[in-house]
Amino acid sequence: MDTLLFSLLNGVIYGLLLFMVSAGLTLVFGMMGVLNFAHASFYMLGAYFAYTLQGLLGFGLAVVVATLLAGAVGAVVERFFLRRVHHHGHAHELLLTFGLSFIVAETIKLLFGNFPVNYQVPAMLDGSAFSLGGQQYPLYRLLMGGVALVMFALLYLLLTRTRVGIIVRSAIYRPRMVEALGHNVQFVFMGVFGVGAALAGLAGAIAGAFYTTSPNMALEIGVMVFVVVVVGGLGSLGGAMLASLLIGLLTSLAVGIDRSLADLLAFVGAKEWAQAVGGLLTLKLSSLASTLPFALMLLVLLLRPQGLMGDKT
Amino acid sequence: MALLAALPVLLSAGLLNAAVQMLIAALFASAYSLLAGRAGMLSFGHAAYFGVGAFATVHAMNALGGNGLLPTPLMPLVGAAAGLAFGVVAGWFATQRSGTAFAMITLAIAELLHSLAPQLKGLFGGESGISAMRMPAWGFTFGSTTQVYYLTLVWVLLSLLLLHFHTRTPAGRLTLGLRENSHRLRFLGYDVHLLSVSAFAISGLFSGVAGGLQVLANEAANYVVFDPGVSAGVVLNSYIGGVGVFLGPALGAALMSFFGYAVSDTTQAWLLYQGVLFVLVMMFMPQGLVGLWDAAAARVRRLGAARAVPLLLAWLIAALLLTAGAVFLIELVQRLCSQEYRALAAQADALPPVTLWKGTWEVASVTTWAWPLGLLALGGGLLAFAHQQLKATEEHP
Repeated sequence: MDTLLFSLLNGVIYGLLLFMVSAGLTLVFGMMGVLNFAHASFYMLGAYFAYTLQGLLGFGLAVVVATLLAGAVGAVVERFFLRRVHHHGHAHELLLTFGLSFIVAETIKLLFGNFPVNYQVPAMLDGSAFSLGGQQYPLYRLLMGGVALVMFALLYLLLTRTRVGIIVRSAIYRPRMVEALGHNVQFVFMGVFGVGAALAGLAGAIAGAFYTTSPNMALEIGVMVFVVVVVGGLGSLGGAMLASLLIGLLTSLAVGIDRSLADLLAFVGAKEWAQAVGGLLTLKLSSLASTLPFALMLLVLLLRPQGLMGDKT
Repeated sequence: MALLAALPVLLSAGLLNAAVQMLIAALFASAYSLLAGRAGMLSFGHAAYFGVGAFATVHAMNALGGNGLLPTPLMPLVGAAAGLAFGVVAGWFATQRSGTAFAMITLAIAELLHSLAPQLKGLFGGESGISAMRMPAWGFTFGSTTQVYYLTLVWVLLSLLLLHFHTRTPAGRLTLGLRENSHRLRFLGYDVHLLSVSAFAISGLFSGVAGGLQVLANEAANYVVFDPGVSAGVVLNSYIGGVGVFLGPALGAALMSFFGYAVSDTTQAWLLYQGVLFVLVMMFMPQGLVGLWDAAAARVRRLGAARAVPLLLAWLIAALLLTAGAVFLIELVQRLCSQEYRALAAQADALPPVTLWKGTWEVASVTTWAWPLGLLALGGGLLAFAHQQLKATEEHP
């Protein structure tokens, strides 16, 4: 029971983290129609910036500065790269961001080496929050979840309660009209892109200390984030939230299940047959945890191609 | 063609191996570009079809007690069949959506295989992979690199011929329509999903052939063929070459894998250079390197050779200077950030000089940094000058 509770909590927090990265991606996609392949690179940049600055500024300040730096890099990418190729169409923009993500990963390998760096949770935050049935629950995990929730609340309030939010939301639907009303839509685009990048950077700066910070982290989370936005529905913030939590729970719960398809088939008396076949049928579900989100995505595509909460086709 | 046939006489064994890899990369890029260039469907997970073809071939080679399912020269047919079959299944899923979502789905399918492959030891051989032997057939032993080269050459040329033939068929023409206006195709009564799946499957088929050839050349397959880097490489190669022209991707892939082979000993930053080149191509020459030739020819036609050639030469020299400066700078930084250097600096408690290109460079000295920066400035200046001249001549012809 305790184990179940712990994996549920872990799943929710991993889901919130995924949402922090996918929120910016889906927001930018809804606004400009550009899928930013380099989005997960900002997550990685955030982690590496914070790692580098940690010694200089201390953990808290390093996270803040890393977030701002990631946002600045995002704004530069929009202003000087994406805008230049905008007239070539979306496919071209996608390819350009793909190339940029490649460059970021290779540059990081060049500067920091192709192995995980020693970026760790500061001793002050490295305690346990509470214990349940003799097991300690790390404080830092709760902190990650808390940051994600606060960020989500701020983003929601910003988009729904402020003038800036009104302009951003209207620029998504009618960019030309907003421009005609005298707002600088190009600047709004750059701002949204930068904020999305900053959110990803914040997630990276915080999560990098807990998980591993390595040149592969962008690809690992990037693929998962893509699965999230496809499952949730492209451009839908609510869908991204739902899908993030779903995938977080799915992976975290699957790790704890020590059964295989053969055990399931035992109910219909086909266990011997399944074990004789071997391969996929006898693999433990726990070792398949990382592949389950992809299976979920294929299932969603089969049953509801536009995603759980998407309306665009 | 004659040159390709004569290569084994001209090249050493190591270079011939590189030539085999170039041919395989060229075929893979061409197969990829059928989907990405002609059908306008960007796939970021083409390693999956390459890898499936490779593993099917390695299993076929080991089948029947090591005698092989087919004679060795026909082995790539197994890769083709596997690539086609997997292409149909994956394509059926992926082409449910178009555009951006399609790109993400292909990426996820490839990642699915990449994360599943090490778990399925029986099928993919775990970490160590599966090895096989090339069996003698039809009077050839396939023991020497030369024979492998000719086998690869025949298969690659045949496949390229078939791919080119496909562009001439009605189905190939309709593939272009998928890119340009799929709504209109549907309106005209064509089954767009079926057409997309067929383009996807044919691309998978020839990727499978390329995978099979790779296995024949290496006599082994490892789950590393599903690595995202393989998928990324084929995207970069194809677009650097230029997907607008039939042979563009093949040339790009051959060029890139040749450079990759040539500089692999001297630099660790080759992938970075490839990425930078790709971004530059995407930003300034959307038609790829092949398009550069056309652009140069157009200038010569418009301005006349006497005025265009000096300008083009200036562009070329500027590009070379900029490349030299950038490479110098990147290599210098790479040496400074490498683990060995850090250990050395920590040991000596000072900044020891860096060894680069048979010379030693003092880190703190101004001249060390003046070299690359000077090269960059010179190249940039020349580029600006050439640009200005071009504008002036075009305004006052």
